[in-house]
Amino acid sequence: MADVSLSAQHLVKRYGGVVALADSSLDVQSGEVVALIGANGSGKSTLGKIITGAVVPDGGRLLLDGEQARFSSPQAARRMGISAVYQELSLVADMTVAENVWLANEPLALGRVRRKERKERTARLLSLFEDALGPSVGPDALVSALSPSDRQIVEILKALSREPRVMILDEATASLGGRQVERLFELVGEWKARGMALIFISHRMEEIFQIADRATVLRSGRTVGAADLKETSEQELVGLMIEGGIAEQRHIAHPGETAGEKTVLLETEDLRSSVLNGVTLQLREGEILGLGGLQGQGQSNLLLTLFGAAPHSGTIRLAGEQVRLSHPRQAMKQGLAFVPGDRGGEGLLPIRSILENLLLPSWSRYGAFLNMRRARNDSEAVSQSLRLKMGSLDHPVNSLSGGNAQKVVLGKWLMRGPKVLLLDDPTKGVDVGAKGEFYKILSDLRERGVAILLHSSDDEELVDLCDRVLVMRDGVVSRQLSGGNLNKSVLVSASVGAASSSSDSAPSGGAA
Amino acid sequence: MSAAWASIGPRLRRVALRQSYAFALLLLVVAVAINYYLQPTFFQPGILSGNLLLFVPLMLVAVGQTVVVIGGGIDLSLGAIVSMANVIFVSLMSQEASPSRILLALAAGFLAGILAGALNGFCVAVLRFQPIVTTFATSFIFAGLALYVLPEPGGVMPPGLVNFFYINPLGLPMVLWVVIILLLLWALLRSTRYGPYLYATGGRDLSAFVSGVPVSSVRFLSYCIAGLMAAAGALALALSTGTGNPIGGTDLMLQSIVAVVLGGTRLSGGQGGVAGSIIGVVILSLIQSIVSFSGAPSSWQTLINGLIVVAALAGPGLVALLGRRRRA
Repeated sequence: MADVSLSAQHLVKRYGGVVALADSSLDVQSGEVVALIGANGSGKSTLGKIITGAVVPDGGRLLLDGEQARFSSPQAARRMGISAVYQELSLVADMTVAENVWLANEPLALGRVRRKERKERTARLLSLFEDALGPSVGPDALVSALSPSDRQIVEILKALSREPRVMILDEATASLGGRQVERLFELVGEWKARGMALIFISHRMEEIFQIADRATVLRSGRTVGAADLKETSEQELVGLMIEGGIAEQRHIAHPGETAGEKTVLLETEDLRSSVLNGVTLQLREGEILGLGGLQGQGQSNLLLTLFGAAPHSGTIRLAGEQVRLSHPRQAMKQGLAFVPGDRGGEGLLPIRSILENLLLPSWSRYGAFLNMRRARNDSEAVSQSLRLKMGSLDHPVNSLSGGNAQKVVLGKWLMRGPKVLLLDDPTKGVDVGAKGEFYKILSDLRERGVAILLHSSDDEELVDLCDRVLVMRDGVVSRQLSGGNLNKSVLVSASVGAASSSSDSAPSGGAA
Repeated sequence: MSAAWASIGPRLRRVALRQSYAFALLLLVVAVAINYYLQPTFFQPGILSGNLLLFVPLMLVAVGQTVVVIGGGIDLSLGAIVSMANVIFVSLMSQEASPSRILLALAAGFLAGILAGALNGFCVAVLRFQPIVTTFATSFIFAGLALYVLPEPGGVMPPGLVNFFYINPLGLPMVLWVVIILLLLWALLRSTRYGPYLYATGGRDLSAFVSGVPVSSVRFLSYCIAGLMAAAGALALALSTGTGNPIGGTDLMLQSIVAVVLGGTRLSGGQGGVAGSIIGVVILSLIQSIVSFSGAPSSWQTLINGLIVVAALAGPGLVALLGRRRRA
């Protein structure tokens, strides 16, 4: 692989009146991994998109091998050897893995696609992640049938199939399982050794320190610092990311072991669905119960099931009474609220106002002819308690940053005063500052007696925030962690199913 | 054996999702049975192919519609394009037109079809107008041009050309030849890069764009192909009637969408295929003959067409709902 160097200098990008990038610069060369970090809305993704030609900058310049380059489209950048793994998946669900990987890059003979060769080459790429993929993943599998983490792998292989000289990994690890991340990092090492230049966009500090050589920090669209990772600390980087330089302390002290005295609010017995294989759990009032484990072990499905949005069998009891939840509306009536992780897809109407989004589940409480004044006052109160950073309640939700948009998703359920809060990876892709605020809101809710069931892909979050954590594996609760056992190393080893010296191990389904 | 099934399973699933004409085949069997019950002679090869010959124009238009729908669009102007190209063919030919004159007329008609498709494609793919509104609007342009070229039905196609339409090359009926040629052309198209590009564009245009698919060109071309197929349909219409009609294609617009839907192509795009639409056309022809044999007024046909579209739109949701009930 020929040596390559890429240099983005003083890039500027505006969307209407909003400045996405004010003055950002980045350098990367063959054989190195540069981490691009910054809070949400700091312009990381925009910078990545300019480099890959998906967005055309309004100012500044891009130098590739010392020569000015201007990419008008993703194809143009790709021809120059620049590929990206996108945060928003670039896969088409109704097409097969092979078709997706080679989309717009099909092996051709006389203008016709060589399907056999395409299939073989896909199989070879898939074998790179052989032991880290689900059993049904093959070149002919439909992408719609794959788990989110396997889709992300396909996304990575797609970028790799273009044999890039520069590869951008934009939050590529966010939805991967532990084993898959491990394998990806092994491969990144190999690619680096072969002379590839990599840009790694991530929120996960430990990953950045694990694989990156240098870090470039963005804040509000400006490059505010670049550091050699051997000579810097996590605090220092977080300090650069956050205005004022002070990292929000996000650790919340564990409460005393009072869980046993509180009443059980939500209880399931042998809950089964297409993904769940018999889940038994108890959730008490004023408790944050975590759902951990590798990605795609049934955590999201469990939450959807409890919210009445997935077909299931088994028993669900709310405050001791058996309930039948076959529609979200029933669950809502019982005081359950669900905050999905995919805030764009499930949680929000992006072009409607913040006000409307907040009120959407609650309109029925404002009369046949809507009492707009009361509705506005209530929304005002919730947005203040969430410390929502916004222009006005009438601005559209898509004018907010990711962290603030996620607060709106939470806020619309808080308007209903829920008794049980189901959270599906709510802080995924949310910046450190907004996460800290989010945690405070959750612990306030817990104080008020709300029972919270929290699924998170961030192990630290589970350890810091939860009273107990249930580790899920293959659709059952494989371990329950609490008290002294609730620490990161036990959680990680329980997630991957490693034997542990700990005695807290519960048999499957028996965590209560 | 079970291992073999295991490997076939995902494949079948894929085929079923891709070419979801299982439902169409079922309908076909039902329609054939009812037809046979009402009119046992209906399935004599001569009568059958004669009947189906009347549906060749629709078949061609439905294939064009399929390409647009897979690409994530819809073309409500195809009927009007048929009318327009139809009167161009007829008015440039006459009973004793010379071969060169015939060639000129053919070139003009097909060019008009492609240009009409290009206008739609330009508005939708380049100017990013809504496909439904755009093609509904342009349909009035094409319909108006058709009436301008030939205000009243009339004109005569050269008999030699018309007779060609009714011969059976190599002993196989003309309808079968049309089907074979269409399927071959579709297979050829799908085997080029345009195949995956079209499905990706209709499946999720943003994903296609960031993957480097020239989304605008793909869309533009899909409308051009539809315009070309509409012109071919217009020629078939002129040959089957032997004359020209400035509103002859009007009914084909809704019918082509019905055929696409019956054939299992999802109206939201990114899925389906031409084979299903051809089956859809055959089903439509059978339904039409059921309506006429049963003595119901022919206007019922339009009502039935409308019902089919509504039912087909509801179909996937109903199937999912039933599956959910059963599982729960």
